[in-house]
Amino acid sequence: MTHAISTRSLTKKFGRREVLHGVDFTVEAGSVFGVIGPNGAGKTTTMRCLLDIIRPTSGEVRVLGKDPREGGTELRRRIGYLPGELFLEGRVTGRKLLAHYQAISGPVAPGRIDALAERLGLDLDSHTRKLSKGNKQKLGLVQAFMHDPELLVLDEPTSGLDPLVQQEFHAMMREAQHKGQTIFLSSHVLSEVQQTADTVAILRDGRIIAVESVSGLREGAVRHVRLSATGITAHDAGALLGAVPGVGHVEVLESGSGVTLTATLEGEIQPLVQALASLQLTDLVLEEPDLEESVLKMYSNPQEAAK
Amino acid sequence: MSTTLPLFRRAFFDTWRSTLGWAAGLAAATFLYLPLYPSIGGSAQMQDMIDALPAEMTKALNYDQIATGPGYTQATLYGLIGFLLMTIASVGWGAAAVGGDEESGQLELTLAHGVTRVQVVLERALSLFLRVVLLAALVFVLVRLLNDSAQLAIRPENLFGAAVLFAGLALLSGTAALCAGAVSGRRTYGLAAGAAVGVLGYVFNAVGRQSEDVEWLLNLSPYHWAYGNSPVANGADWGAAGWLWGISAALVALAALAVNRRDVGA
Repeated sequence: MTHAISTRSLTKKFGRREVLHGVDFTVEAGSVFGVIGPNGAGKTTTMRCLLDIIRPTSGEVRVLGKDPREGGTELRRRIGYLPGELFLEGRVTGRKLLAHYQAISGPVAPGRIDALAERLGLDLDSHTRKLSKGNKQKLGLVQAFMHDPELLVLDEPTSGLDPLVQQEFHAMMREAQHKGQTIFLSSHVLSEVQQTADTVAILRDGRIIAVESVSGLREGAVRHVRLSATGITAHDAGALLGAVPGVGHVEVLESGSGVTLTATLEGEIQPLVQALASLQLTDLVLEEPDLEESVLKMYSNPQEAAK
Repeated sequence: MSTTLPLFRRAFFDTWRSTLGWAAGLAAATFLYLPLYPSIGGSAQMQDMIDALPAEMTKALNYDQIATGPGYTQATLYGLIGFLLMTIASVGWGAAAVGGDEESGQLELTLAHGVTRVQVVLERALSLFLRVVLLAALVFVLVRLLNDSAQLAIRPENLFGAAVLFAGLALLSGTAALCAGAVSGRRTYGLAAGAAVGVLGYVFNAVGRQSEDVEWLLNLSPYHWAYGNSPVANGADWGAAGWLWGISAALVALAALAVNRRDVGA
């Protein structure tokens, strides 16, 4: 089995409103796959289809080689799920609640729950309804990770977590991946996914508009360039930079004896560096690619993104 | 790790405070009403007062039978305050079991685990049945306890039959709430359905007893099926008990079927 998850033409209608319009994607076993998209894009609905909480209107879904509809309890025991909105009510302690979920999920190694709780800094003996949002989220994470499932489906896993705990969570994800577990996670911001995921799918209005490796996304992303040089006129500098493939938005200002220039760069750096070699540079800044910006561009303009 | 009936355990044991609260309420009602029988129900003055009330009113309240110990127990405890408390408890539990759990967002996480939807409904219904039976058993024991001191003279076999009907009547409202909650995914609809079964049953009985023209209403009243022949005094109508428990079971089955067929939390 090479695919942990695959969907084909996954469509979901609620009444007459169609929220997923034929979603196709595959998640390789052992990989970390991130889905990003604005609120209401269909991330949660997609995840619920994987767990048979919601039934697709049409299309095909395979999770760990099985149709979630037929996989039943055996399949769900092999999955760890963190819902996007976690509600834990009732007057029970975290420990008792986890014991309950332990009774209805795959086998949990002894001491595993305490170890996870300690890593995340979660007090298992306080009542769940008194927990803060972040602590409830930790409880949800322990619940999803505790039986070391083959597949983790995590809907906005870091929401409500402080940065230190987020780091710990990222470490947990890396360990899970080392153990061969597959992770499918969602977020509405890319920065969260880009640190951990191998592949990113961008979902917008119920459609996948792009599936990219994180490195591919980085190559396609826009970098901002800023430089100062002497001994050249604004016109010549503009012409020189403008001729380099991938460079756009060139703006030049005369300043004293030289020029200050800003531009954007998409694609490879090498041609730009060669062009710059002929200049008397006094300053050069080539920024980290801004993935967020390129993704936002895809959100607002899917046709161009799919070019 | 396998535990038998994990969902039942959670539904039953995590609500022990609620169960205890309703048990205390029913016990208080029993201790409040029954010891008063020798001075109220059995006294000639009280009978004169009841005779002076409009006949329609005594019929509506079932106070026409209040002069005997079993009749008094039937009318006050089983027919009124006990019925009210049991129905509220049962409807509350029934509406929360599936509909309330879905509305609060918790059902989604439960269903993402290694359980089937049918199992969730059945185990939670079992918890509802057991809690209602426990409360009915408690009232049975307390009435037996007070039988001599309050001069009620209730025959144990009649009291047992009444307890079975008492539980069955509450269960019918409770399972109606569970079913409506499961079909709609909303706690409020469950509460409304359960309350409707309880209240309409009571009202149809009260109105149906007023005249022959509206007697047909009695056939629609689960309250009348259960209590029409005053089981505490005359023994249970076991056929009626069968209907109450049978319809309750059918409503649970319907709830399981409905939840199994639809999207959850959508």
